[in-house]
Amino acid sequence: MVVTLIGIILLCPLAAFAIFALFGLAKRSFPRQDLLSTAAMLVALVCSFILLREVVPDPEPHTVDWISIGKITFSMGFYLDSVTVIMLIVVTLVSSLVHIFSIGYMHGDPRYPRFFAYLSLFSFSMLFLVVSDNLLGIYIGWELVGLCSYLLIGFWFEKDSAANACKKAFLTTRVGDIGMFIGMMMLFAKFKTLSLYDGSENGIFTLVEGLSGTGDMIWLSIAGVLIFCGAVGKSAQVPLHTWLPDAMEGPTPVSALIHAATMVAAGVYLTARMFPILTPGSSLVIAYVGGITALVAATIAIVRFDIKRVLAYSTVSQLGYMMLAIGAGSYVAGLFHLTTHAFFKALLFLGSGSVIHAFHAMHAHHNDEHTNGEEHEHDDHSLVHEHGSEIPPDQDMRNMGGLRRKMPLTFITMLIATLSISGVPFIFSGFWSKDAILGGVLGRAMEWNSVHHYLLFGMALCAAGITAFYMFRLIFMTFFGEPRNQEMHDMAHESLWVMVVPLLVLAILSLPVVNKLWFNKDYIIRPDQPHVHAPQHAYVSPDTKTGDVDFGIVFFGISEAEAAEDEGGQDIGHADDAHHAAHELAHNIAMVLSIIVAGLGILLSWLFYHRRRFSAESVATKFSPVYNLFWNKYYFDEFYDGVLVALTVWKSRLFAKFDLSVVDGIVNGVATIVRQIFAAFIGFFDNRVVDGIVNRVAEVTWAAGGRIRRIQTGAIQTYLFVVLGGIVLIILIFRAL
Amino acid sequence: MSLQHYLVISAILFSLGIFAVLTRKNAISILMGIELILNSCNLNFVAFSRFVTPSENIVGSEVFRLDGQIIAIFGIVLAAAEAAVFLAIILAIYREFGSIRPDKVDTLKG
Repeated sequence: MVVTLIGIILLCPLAAFAIFALFGLAKRSFPRQDLLSTAAMLVALVCSFILLREVVPDPEPHTVDWISIGKITFSMGFYLDSVTVIMLIVVTLVSSLVHIFSIGYMHGDPRYPRFFAYLSLFSFSMLFLVVSDNLLGIYIGWELVGLCSYLLIGFWFEKDSAANACKKAFLTTRVGDIGMFIGMMMLFAKFKTLSLYDGSENGIFTLVEGLSGTGDMIWLSIAGVLIFCGAVGKSAQVPLHTWLPDAMEGPTPVSALIHAATMVAAGVYLTARMFPILTPGSSLVIAYVGGITALVAATIAIVRFDIKRVLAYSTVSQLGYMMLAIGAGSYVAGLFHLTTHAFFKALLFLGSGSVIHAFHAMHAHHNDEHTNGEEHEHDDHSLVHEHGSEIPPDQDMRNMGGLRRKMPLTFITMLIATLSISGVPFIFSGFWSKDAILGGVLGRAMEWNSVHHYLLFGMALCAAGITAFYMFRLIFMTFFGEPRNQEMHDMAHESLWVMVVPLLVLAILSLPVVNKLWFNKDYIIRPDQPHVHAPQHAYVSPDTKTGDVDFGIVFFGISEAEAAEDEGGQDIGHADDAHHAAHELAHNIAMVLSIIVAGLGILLSWLFYHRRRFSAESVATKFSPVYNLFWNKYYFDEFYDGVLVALTVWKSRLFAKFDLSVVDGIVNGVATIVRQIFAAFIGFFDNRVVDGIVNRVAEVTWAAGGRIRRIQTGAIQTYLFVVLGGIVLIILIFRAL
Repeated sequence: MSLQHYLVISAILFSLGIFAVLTRKNAISILMGIELILNSCNLNFVAFSRFVTPSENIVGSEVFRLDGQIIAIFGIVLAAAEAAVFLAIILAIYREFGSIRPDKVDTLKG
């Protein structure tokens, strides 16, 4: 049953892609690839829901041996736990909606069927990654996802910027993947297996428990951080985040699918999956990377004018949040935020796609020649940069404004998503997940009395405020105020129903009440982290299993009091009480603080961009160094371009010189020696000895032939006479004998 | 008449044939010599069959084996066929070289 369902989930999108590929071999395309792919995803979605209803949790491993090398056997299989199923639903749901949206958005594109085929392949890869029970399978899915993102980001490869962006995405994530691979090999070298759970005692997670106190902690920390490197690349964490904003060159549905909901979530998923092997050291690294990412990306997002770039940096920032949560031990909160973020960020991207589409139709209509000319100007082979002048006019928020009357449905749905991501209390899912993270981090800080975690909490709180600010900046600039570009405004219109329906569905999913229908609070069970213990001076015992926010509670909005009661009933003991008290306190503080910063952010945004009480420009000039830092994205791209790319080019030149002078020199020298000495000797030998023999033989044969041929007189009677003589001779000889 | 008589005649015929083959300039004469040789062989077959092969006693009556005689008949047939082929070749040679003297046909001479 389980295997069948997973098989259907995996094979449907794969089959959709395979059909495209088969028709492609015949230089044809399937007539309705869009409907085929969409139907495949919908089937997978239904199966995912059945899976959720029927089989969670399912601790049975479903494994087959795949490759045997000597005594080592690599297996392939599925592992189903709550996290897997939730990821399956998130991926299939968002993917289905993106498919539907794309039917409208991509309509008329010359490579329309190919787009859907890529989407299907992408969904398959992501689903494969999610259900794999071993690191090898995850790695395969991981690389396939990378490939698909490359294909989809570069979908409009005629544009130089898109072609560069897809290369950049591929190469940047590859940097992280190398770390991940080394980490995997470290685990493999130690445990001789890549299976995470295999039902017996041989899974990595079982084996890792046995390491407690054996002095392998540093080793395990390094392995954990290296595997996290993969997630840094895929989930666009600092310092490998630069590819994600550039990846906005892809079609907007792709941005929604890859860069909001699924692919970047793969990194978070991997980190969560590897949760049991994380040590305090590697956890702290993860938490800091997450925290710094959240803050850095949020500050960059403040000054962007390209609507999609704002969302891109917001994605990076939110992913940082999730990493921070997992690093701080709030496993459930991280995954919870992953789920809610997937829905509202997909909604934001699709909404922005709807806006861009509204403008784009006009843009294509009026400025066809202009865009063509512009593309030629972009003849820049270095990494992609965003400059003010390069923002496409249909994505520039300075051209928007007052759209709420033109596109009411898009406006309302995007407003819901914005309220959700900003953490407006109680009725929006983002509030609960963000609060869960903040509460979890603060709880860990108070529990362990750890300066690091207080610092991380501060970062997260700042990022939350900034997020509220820039998201409302986006809303105010796009939907409120007076139209800034009257011509574009007149052409804008509400999108087709195929594009609006996914927006509405996602908007509903951003409300926690709806999720009650399919979520059960018992789903996510936090795995043990055998190596993470509270420091000695902490005042509570480290019962980590219950030391986390309860997913279901926050998700349904059950009150904190009820939650405490619920947990208190099961846990007996003074230490646990203290522990819970600390966490409850932390949650209350975090909730109040997060409401305050969100309110502050929204208020400031309102004053700046709606009431125009303050001028953003004057603030920018007053703090111009800071503004420049944000505007230039902390000079990450310049750093990579100026240092890493330059170094690579310099190194390549060096090697080229080495090749030309040293290697070629050796080759040429050897050639000369061979030609002059060996060739001369061999030539002499050939000419004299070999040819001599051949010529002598020929001469002897010639001379002999000249003599012997006289025997052949041509007269038959001579021959006969000789024959007769011979016979007589033979007879005489035999007589003599 | 004993076996020796036959063998002597056969030897004389054979020698005459060889002599003709080696000395005649005319191809037809050579053919005649070859025929003599063949016939001397046939004579030998018949003579040996008659004098040397023992008779067998089958169901009470004495029966002679006729192997040699049969081979002689085959030999005659063979000679006839051979003569036909030989004459055809002679004809072709005459057309080619304008002569039927074998010593003129020496294109293969070394």
